[in-house]
Amino acid sequence: MSAQFQHPLQCLRLVQRSTTNILIGSAGSKLYSYSAETGQRLAVWPADVASSETNPVDAESTPELGPPEKKRKVSSSEPQSIGKPAWSNIPIVTGTSNGEHIVALTAEDKCVRVFQLQEDGSFVQLSERAMPKRPSAITLTDDDNTILCGDKFGDVYSLPLIPGDKIPVVTKALRSAKLSHPAATNLTVHTKGNLRALEQQLRLASEGKRDEKSSGPTFEHKVLLGHVSLLTDMAYVSLPVDENKKRSYILTADRDEHIRVSRGPPQAHVIENYCLGHTSFISKLCVPQWAPQYLISGGGDNYLLVWNWAEGRILQKVSLVDEASEATEVAVQGIWATTLGDLRIILVALHGSSRLQCFTLESDGTLKTQASIQLSGNVLDLTPVEKDNTILVSVDSIRQPDSTQEWRASPASPSTLVEAFHVKTGSDSLEWEPTAASVTDKINSTGTEEVPATTEEKQRKELNDSLYGLGHLRKRKGEDE
Amino acid sequence: MDWASHFPAFVNPDATQTNLIGTRKLLKDVEVVDIGCGFGGLLVGLAGLLPETLMVGMEIRIAVLEYLNTRIQALRVQQQHQQQKTQQQQQQQQQSQSQPTSSTSTPAPTAEAADADTPTDAPVHPDPNASTALVPGGYQNISAIRSNTMKFFPNFFNKHQLSKIFICFPDPHFKARKHKARIISETLNAEYAYALRPGGLLYTITDVEEYHHWILRHFRDESAVEEAENEGPTVKELFERVSEEELEKDECVKVMKEATEEGKKVTRNKGNKYVAVFRRKEDPEWA
Repeated sequence: MSAQFQHPLQCLRLVQRSTTNILIGSAGSKLYSYSAETGQRLAVWPADVASSETNPVDAESTPELGPPEKKRKVSSSEPQSIGKPAWSNIPIVTGTSNGEHIVALTAEDKCVRVFQLQEDGSFVQLSERAMPKRPSAITLTDDDNTILCGDKFGDVYSLPLIPGDKIPVVTKALRSAKLSHPAATNLTVHTKGNLRALEQQLRLASEGKRDEKSSGPTFEHKVLLGHVSLLTDMAYVSLPVDENKKRSYILTADRDEHIRVSRGPPQAHVIENYCLGHTSFISKLCVPQWAPQYLISGGGDNYLLVWNWAEGRILQKVSLVDEASEATEVAVQGIWATTLGDLRIILVALHGSSRLQCFTLESDGTLKTQASIQLSGNVLDLTPVEKDNTILVSVDSIRQPDSTQEWRASPASPSTLVEAFHVKTGSDSLEWEPTAASVTDKINSTGTEEVPATTEEKQRKELNDSLYGLGHLRKRKGEDE
Repeated sequence: MDWASHFPAFVNPDATQTNLIGTRKLLKDVEVVDIGCGFGGLLVGLAGLLPETLMVGMEIRIAVLEYLNTRIQALRVQQQHQQQKTQQQQQQQQQSQSQPTSSTSTPAPTAEAADADTPTDAPVHPDPNASTALVPGGYQNISAIRSNTMKFFPNFFNKHQLSKIFICFPDPHFKARKHKARIISETLNAEYAYALRPGGLLYTITDVEEYHHWILRHFRDESAVEEAENEGPTVKELFERVSEEELEKDECVKVMKEATEEGKKVTRNKGNKYVAVFRRKEDPEWA
């Protein structure tokens, strides 16, 4: 059998639990869980019909339980397993701090899905909530009880992690006006467009028809704030006020250069600040948990900005490109913060780049450039494993390194999905060494889902777009300003 | 933002005082904004009323903005001429009789650039040489910028910089599908609250009754909203409606009703005008 490409891990996340640690990844249309100790794959969601027999979850849990009941449960909770799922990829995966719940977004159906992560690594879907517009950022509040979901229309909604029983108060009341008579009269007509709207309203009124209003979601949700722009990223941060009090904030970024600092719910309508300084779209916000007063932001500019966000003050502008290559357009794929050993590390990857840029966050809040890491493919996501002083980086083994479009001539076997790097301790500067961990070997050799090397050009493009969409955020000349 | 080019009469004489982009600083900040200022009727009307207050109009249509800037330039020149004339007359009176001076010929700003696509309902430009009454401030305190206010309002003003925001006869966007495009919404009101100082006023006027109620709803005016239970605090925390008695004393309301081009049009058509003004409250205590 000739080797096939494997769907790369679009999201990768270490979930720390009281008993065992589990790695969660999304690749193609599926979620995977792996043992963080061995790399052994634990479960796939949605489960394959064909492979469900050999699925370790089923194998372990079937014997004692009544088979008919079990079967019925599986078929009712996993209707997607018949045929293909309604989505092609899972662009956002996050989770609660206690590791019990995973929140994932399935792309095309715009569903925010909450899973209970079982002890054996399997996923039990607790809820699926279809959002009105495509979500672009999802995060959780400190107490793990509320999902904050920002969408491409610029709105941020709050949803309870576990939907309650009560029928939601429909919040559309404000947006849609109830008209007993047409809003326009011939005294109020300003333009031709208005006139047409008036004529249409009168016609509809005379026909006794009402505009079919698209009703809002039927689950409990609240609009917290809105940007008049595509919302790109969001962070929920708490700052201590004194010993036993803290204040929470929502930081939101959009396609139009804004970073807004709002109070946390229920006062998100109070804007505390804006952090203005980018000249292109913003794609990522990073507030280190261990230094919450700082914000590192990046996007379509060829630099990062480091902020004292509470004051809206820029502390540093950090170049992301060599002077020689400054003409090329860049976009920031990810900014990650971690502490390994005694070092406070900020890692940055550009969109479609196989180089991971490394910085240390100094005590004055500035970034110090450290040696970067070269990967075998484009960096997609990473997760630190702090207890091992290691990072696991998911890489794209389908596209050529540093290209978002060009596929490799032939698949490697096994495909490299994850690479691990270890921080050398005892040195002032940051030095990495690749680790030949059994975890990554196991994940790579198990693979995810096959992508045939014979994939047609059109499908290739669709697959490329599902991973590399940031370029669309850049405005073309004359689009807007 | 290069405010100095908009308000040359208010530039800080100390040339070393520059802002982040290297342009000269002003002696004071812009305090009043007219969102969707159109042909500038409100600004022109307010200019003499608040001669020491810097006011800026925001307009998204390029042709309309060009027209307005030409208009303001013409008004400034006209005022300067008038001032000179008045001074000359005074001098002439003092010097009993001297030869009449030919009017100093400052060239009128060319209106041709804007003429090409200036909408037909725009008022005509003032003739700089025509005789007119002196207006306090000589229109040096008003200007206009082009911006998509919905997107970029926070880029222009700092927290609590403004004392007044005007939203006059906004595009009603009648279709429900288009309501997202309305310039008043609860989420935008949060942005207005950010720029408006506590005690500052947000003025609205519309000739569309439904839009008026929309405005009241989105500012959560009690009489208009049946408060949903357990909804928690809203933007209502940040604004309170100003009473009718107070509005009657407010000269700005009068200007808004009568000096704007839309206001005049509505009067001609014998339409209704609905006014609502909201006062920015202090920021609420942290929840």
